[in-house]
Amino acid sequence: MFLTRSEYDRGVNTFSPEGRLFQVEYAIEAIKLGSIAIGIRTNEGVVLGVEKRITSSLLVGSSIEKILEIDTHIGCAMSGLTADSRTIIEHARVEAQNHTFTYEETIPVESLSQSICDLALRFGEGAHGEKSIMSRPFGVSLLVAGVDEKGPQLYYTDPSGSLVMYEAKAIGAGSEGAQVELQQSYYKNITLKEAEVLVLKVLKQVMEEKLKNTNVQLAKVVPKTGYSIYSLGELEEIIARLDEQE
Amino acid sequence: MSYNGTAIVAMTGKNCVAIAADKRLGQQFLTVDMDFQKIFPITKKTYVGLPGLATDVQTLYKSNMYRLNEQRDIEPKAFAHMVSSTLYEKRFGPYYIEPIVAGLDKNNNPYICGMDLLGCMDVAHDFIVAGSADENLKGMCENLWEADLEPEDLFETISQALLNAVDRDALSGWGGVVHIITPNEVITRHLKARMD
Amino acid sequence: MLQHKDGSVQNHQHGWEPYVDNGGTSLAIAGEDFCVIASDTRQSEGYSINTRFDPKIHKITDKIMLATTGYSADAKRLTEVIKMQTERYFYKHEKNMESHAAAQMLSVILYQKRFFPYYVFPILAGIDNEGKGCVYSYDPVGNMERVTFQVYGSASGMIQPFLDSQVGFKNQQNVDKTRLLTKEEAISIAVDSFTAATERDIYTGDYLEIYIVDANGIHREQKPLKFD
Repeated sequence: MFLTRSEYDRGVNTFSPEGRLFQVEYAIEAIKLGSIAIGIRTNEGVVLGVEKRITSSLLVGSSIEKILEIDTHIGCAMSGLTADSRTIIEHARVEAQNHTFTYEETIPVESLSQSICDLALRFGEGAHGEKSIMSRPFGVSLLVAGVDEKGPQLYYTDPSGSLVMYEAKAIGAGSEGAQVELQQSYYKNITLKEAEVLVLKVLKQVMEEKLKNTNVQLAKVVPKTGYSIYSLGELEEIIARLDEQE
Repeated sequence: MSYNGTAIVAMTGKNCVAIAADKRLGQQFLTVDMDFQKIFPITKKTYVGLPGLATDVQTLYKSNMYRLNEQRDIEPKAFAHMVSSTLYEKRFGPYYIEPIVAGLDKNNNPYICGMDLLGCMDVAHDFIVAGSADENLKGMCENLWEADLEPEDLFETISQALLNAVDRDALSGWGGVVHIITPNEVITRHLKARMD
Repeated sequence: MLQHKDGSVQNHQHGWEPYVDNGGTSLAIAGEDFCVIASDTRQSEGYSINTRFDPKIHKITDKIMLATTGYSADAKRLTEVIKMQTERYFYKHEKNMESHAAAQMLSVILYQKRFFPYYVFPILAGIDNEGKGCVYSYDPVGNMERVTFQVYGSASGMIQPFLDSQVGFKNQQNVDKTRLLTKEEAISIAVDSFTAATERDIYTGDYLEIYIVDANGIHREQKPLKFD
């Protein structure tokens, strides 16, 4: 792909003669540099898991936030340039609250995910007098997990603004291998408890460091109680279950 | 009409008439009296309800009493004309009252009559309403009233009309009084209502 | 009146009047699993009747109707805005708007014009997401309340106490005041309310439109009222 690079990768809104937007493709490449994030959908809810790379012994692990709450019924995990996600998360949270304010109901997960994608392509110069909000595509991908009247759902968004629904998905460094593992281990009626272990199992395979409750983070979104992050104790318990299995 | 607040209604029945009023006396939104008399007996079979400015209510009642020194009972129709004339005498400085006369004549036929503050009479065969809750009373009566009601049914009808009407008017209410005039007796009952 | 420094007084002959009251009356009664919405169709201005047939009830979704009174032009615009927004909602979220969502949205739309309001008294009525009859009433700036019955318009003063008595069972003893009316009762009370109001209110008359919303959909009836 980079062999064909030419002047066409300068302007963010310029197609190459082959019909490609290089800057967007490069942005997608940036995702692969980020640490891994995994999401698994079950009939009881959705589990999200991420690796937290503790690059220095002086780094405070709890300050790395790669899973965030968007609304009480929606959470998301990210990979890539996580700083870029702040704009997206802010937008998504406003969108969710606006929906609740206007309609006195929670926003459907798909609509929320779609609104994130609508933002993804608003780089470059602003169209028809609109102020430009960013100069380049986002360098981050999101796994959006949520529960609404249609049940638990998992969506994947990338810098090109495309929106795809998944049963299980891995993004970031080592995601290809992780996706293969997910494909092998996932089955239709997987329980939430099994999904918790599967997330950790895949993370463990991909991670260079030894998996501990401090260098991974897990969250779930379930009907009724909605979004929640697993405590260190809960993580410890799932790690124990994983060890038992192996 | 809306300074002191009033609701007065009269209805005809079969050989009977009913007249009912609320009990509130206020000064705009301040309630002053919760047992203010707005209906006055004229004869055994004729009553008059005086909705409007409370000071004129009492003045007009006294001036009419003064005119009744005749040693015999006046007919409701004649009385209504007398009230009407009294009001018209003050054509250019009127009493702020829209009276309702209700009674049985010498053949025990019902007679009800309303008038405006200048004395223009309105003789009705069904019902007459007046006061700050007149619109509400109108709606109630138009729906509830039917011809030839017996005294007890007439009581129920006029009471429901009055109670539900004053509940939707801030200026009237605080209980009510109903007089059912029949050939032999006048039944007077006091109604308990929401006190707000 | 504008007083100048030299003492001369200038009359403002043409004060701008953005609002007109076009009269008419609308009411709605909620039942256990249905809703009755009724309006007259007279549209007038002062002592003249603009038209004898100008429906004030509009369908918003298969389960929700909107009845209006007040300034007809504002009512029509408001109806269009709500219809448009419900349609956009349908395409955006791929589902029909439920009554609670439409109710909240209407409140927001009204409050957005807090300082130049729609001169409209809307009643939103239909079936809620549990299949129960629902009525939401509003003031022109969006204050909202879910009720079991409501009447607005030129004859509301006459009809409101009647509904209090017959639908709310006010001032009655030994009755279940939370009881909801049957369909037949609700329709008959709606009809009686309007025939009575038409007798005394010059702004209400011509035709009566009645909509019954239930699980089977929306059913419409029309009856003539007095033309005088």
